[in-house]
Amino acid sequence: MNTRMFGEKVARVEDDRLLRGHGRYVDDLAAGALHAAVLRSPHAHARIKDIDVTDVLDCAGVHAVWTSEDLDELGGSLAGPLPLLIPHPALTHGRTQHALARGEVNYAGEAIAFVVADDRYLAEDAVARIRVDYEPLPPVVGIEAARAAEHVVHPDVPGNVGARLEQANGDAAAAIAKAPHRLSLDLTIERSASTPMEGRGVVAQWNADLGRLLLWSSTQTSTGVRAAVAAQLGLDLRQVDVMTPDVGGGFGVKINHPWPEEVLVALAARSLGRPVKFTEDRREHFISSAHERGQVHHVEVGFDDDGRLLGLDVTFWHDHGAYTPYGLIVPIITSTQLLGPYKPQAYRVAFESLYTNTVMVTPYRGAGRPQGCFVMERTMDAIADALGKDRLEVRSANFIQPDEFPYDHGLVFQDGRELEYDSGDYPALLEKLRKLVGWDDFEQLRAEKAAEGKRVGIGVACYVEGTGVGPYEGAHVHVETSGKVKVATGLTSQGQGHQTAFAQIVADELGVRFEDVEITTGDTRRMPYAVGTFASRAAVMSGSAIHKAAKRTREKALRIAAEALEVDVTDLDIVDGVVEVKGVPGSTIDLGTVAVLANPLRYAFDEASRAATQFTVGDPGKPPVAEGEQPGLEGTDFHSPERSTFASGMHAVVVETDPETAEIKILKYAVVHDCGRLINPMIVEGQIHGGVAQGVGGALYERMVYDDAGQLLNASFMDFLMPYVTEVPDRIDIDHQETPSPLNPLGIKGAGEAGVIPSAAVFAAAIEDAERIDHPGLTIRAMPISPSELFALRQAHEAGKDTP
Amino acid sequence: MKITGEATLVAPVDRVWDAVLDPRVLVTAIPGCERLEQTGEHAYEMTVTAGVASIRGTYAGTCRIGQLQQHESLVLSLQGAGAPGTIDAEVAVRFEDNGDRTTSLFYDADAVVGGMVGGVGQRMLSSVSRRMAHEFFSNVEAAINGVPAHHAPVEGEEAAAPAPAPAAGAVFTASPRQPAGLDQDSFLKGVAVGAGLVLLGAVVGGLVGRRR
Repeated sequence: MNTRMFGEKVARVEDDRLLRGHGRYVDDLAAGALHAAVLRSPHAHARIKDIDVTDVLDCAGVHAVWTSEDLDELGGSLAGPLPLLIPHPALTHGRTQHALARGEVNYAGEAIAFVVADDRYLAEDAVARIRVDYEPLPPVVGIEAARAAEHVVHPDVPGNVGARLEQANGDAAAAIAKAPHRLSLDLTIERSASTPMEGRGVVAQWNADLGRLLLWSSTQTSTGVRAAVAAQLGLDLRQVDVMTPDVGGGFGVKINHPWPEEVLVALAARSLGRPVKFTEDRREHFISSAHERGQVHHVEVGFDDDGRLLGLDVTFWHDHGAYTPYGLIVPIITSTQLLGPYKPQAYRVAFESLYTNTVMVTPYRGAGRPQGCFVMERTMDAIADALGKDRLEVRSANFIQPDEFPYDHGLVFQDGRELEYDSGDYPALLEKLRKLVGWDDFEQLRAEKAAEGKRVGIGVACYVEGTGVGPYEGAHVHVETSGKVKVATGLTSQGQGHQTAFAQIVADELGVRFEDVEITTGDTRRMPYAVGTFASRAAVMSGSAIHKAAKRTREKALRIAAEALEVDVTDLDIVDGVVEVKGVPGSTIDLGTVAVLANPLRYAFDEASRAATQFTVGDPGKPPVAEGEQPGLEGTDFHSPERSTFASGMHAVVVETDPETAEIKILKYAVVHDCGRLINPMIVEGQIHGGVAQGVGGALYERMVYDDAGQLLNASFMDFLMPYVTEVPDRIDIDHQETPSPLNPLGIKGAGEAGVIPSAAVFAAAIEDAERIDHPGLTIRAMPISPSELFALRQAHEAGKDTP
Repeated sequence: MKITGEATLVAPVDRVWDAVLDPRVLVTAIPGCERLEQTGEHAYEMTVTAGVASIRGTYAGTCRIGQLQQHESLVLSLQGAGAPGTIDAEVAVRFEDNGDRTTSLFYDADAVVGGMVGGVGQRMLSSVSRRMAHEFFSNVEAAINGVPAHHAPVEGEEAAAPAPAPAAGAVFTASPRQPAGLDQDSFLKGVAVGAGLVLLGAVVGGLVGRRR
């Protein structure tokens, strides 16, 4: 019997390499390549009157300097704007930027000119010599200014409204009007960003002998980059290969493609006949990649005496920045995932997606869910407060019950499919959390701490996360004659431990040693059909595809082995890479040998292949490759589920707030989590730890500080505060619940984003709870919150100036 | 971004109003000012190299002066751009005669600072700009009072030989450091330009402050 690996805490095999500095990131590749630098707009909104590059033309070591005019001449699709990746009928005024700005810039950081030189020093010096004559235009910064529309970002987008979308299930307004209790809340979440350790990076090499472009990018979608770059350059898809090496974090920002630099570097490599590299610096990442989270929400809710939601009506405004390449994904997710584990009797949601002269938006880990969770959980707390009820009791009254699955919310989700929850058990999850965090004993703790002059509070937040969105992922499994197993899946890895988790799946299904399995991700040469790594989908989608492809490979191995061993397929098993006849010791054949038999040869090149040549194997009465078979011991399969599978979880935090300084200290953090069956609990817990850390940042520290002119004032890690290990709880208590997904063969749900989703909600609740000891009735309606903001909130509350 | 500040010079307001306006004074008084070119009435182009230690940047800029209220106030509109950043500012400068042969200058700038400095230097800008302003006004005061020695002493209105106003296209460079006699118009412009250049200097200073 094989030792089953699925569900085991297998240590990540990639960590040794990564921690010892043996990772290979984009910037480690192509030594000797030319380097690119980009001239970026210093203005948030300006007309470009003239660009003068004459001072650069004679610079020694400079190989190219391009502006948008040059791109027109270079052909392809470059004269037009970059693609709008995810069109939506409601996105009536979608706009995307050009690879290099044409006539107008709409955010500080927008690419204007591109220089290729011997090294980055020369390239940057050359960029500094380009003279641009701007006519500054009035910038639109922030949701308030965008809504007021005193000025517009794009002259052909009235009111700065890119899209307006409304969905409803039932008549929420009528239900609210009739409800015995009503509340309204205004809730705000500020902008933040993914800020991966490694910024963007791309290397391109044009192989003139083969007429092919080889491109390495630090991306979350190699196939996406491949298709987009091919289209932009006017190349056939088969002329372009995109490889994704080690990636130092993505968190959503690297799902956007093509970045201007991906197109320009590829173009430069082809035009100059030399490898070209672009490595983004930190400031560039802040001002020219993507942000997220900025939303303002208005809630109207009607509820009964038990706190049951009779009608919920949410209107919100989403700041999508200057362009909309990633469509409406983030606000659609907020508008649907806001519902969490609850079932309002009637729900209406509407949002406007607004242009501002700031960096554009792509999903950032959680992708609209942290905002939605904040809105719903603040509403739950406000209801409990209004009724004088326990906060868990109000939540329980609204839970979808375990016997109600599949539960259809009557809305359309981000993938264009029904918002239908497949499985879950929310009451059981809440009971786990109640015990884990010690909810029922908290008042005792509060009293003890109060006796010491300390102010502590507790908060809880629940979420449901649609994971594993389609359309599909695929996998290819190949057993070499050595018995080694080479697996390829097309989506990319950014540190999720795919080598480990996917090898566990293959080892189990194929019956091979974990150590013999090698996983390749994000290489279009190995798996040209793929979508990408986002929406907590890698384990669900590629994990399932790999499982299916391994199953096909196993079936083929057994067919061949059955013939060789002259037994029935059902009598065979594969253990540690050896096919054996069950109950007959010694009657075995190595999987490597099966691979030899699977590929009948004319020529021998080693010991194993000699055994497969034409005078050695084969039945003279049959074709060497049987009808319906293909040579090679391999299998390919795809996973394309009907809809997303919905994971869930609940967080609780105990905080202490300083009565004098308003400093916020985390005393306890508890997570209960249901991502279906766990492939590797250690990896899932690692994902939760990372998510909680990122959530602490989002709740207490991180924000994008724009001034009225649209200048990002904190575009460095000195000013943009990221939590260190000192700001993250020492211990995170975790308990798992497993309700298997019916939508994939392994019963799994995604886990990557979960840890960050409830952070703003849970911290707001706990801080508010602590504050109410000294400031009864104080409410927190905007996150993140810093000690000075909390202090100001106390003062406003004392002055009677805070809003409920 | 708002930058406000003040300086008190040991000279009566008419002397300050007169003395500082001459671009030939300013080009020596402002650290890093290399070149001023008059492009029209109350309009200049200028080049400033500023920085500390190994980080230096050259800015090309223009300025325009308006809302002139003699001995009282003026408004400077300034634009500058260089590798470390850009600035686009309106600077209101107010003169106040203290009646004791000293004059206070108050400047109130509303500046948009862009580019690299805008993102990474803002935190330092106000403190650096105050230091730069202090240095600038000290230099102006020294010029009025004839220190250092190579500056022509200013002897008051009757002693000031009425020099012709610089024509458009006149170029002032930092050397030779021989400011000639002062006329009111150029003096006025000089103060405005000086205030603007202080801001430019602050931009560079901010960058330097962060890079060290």
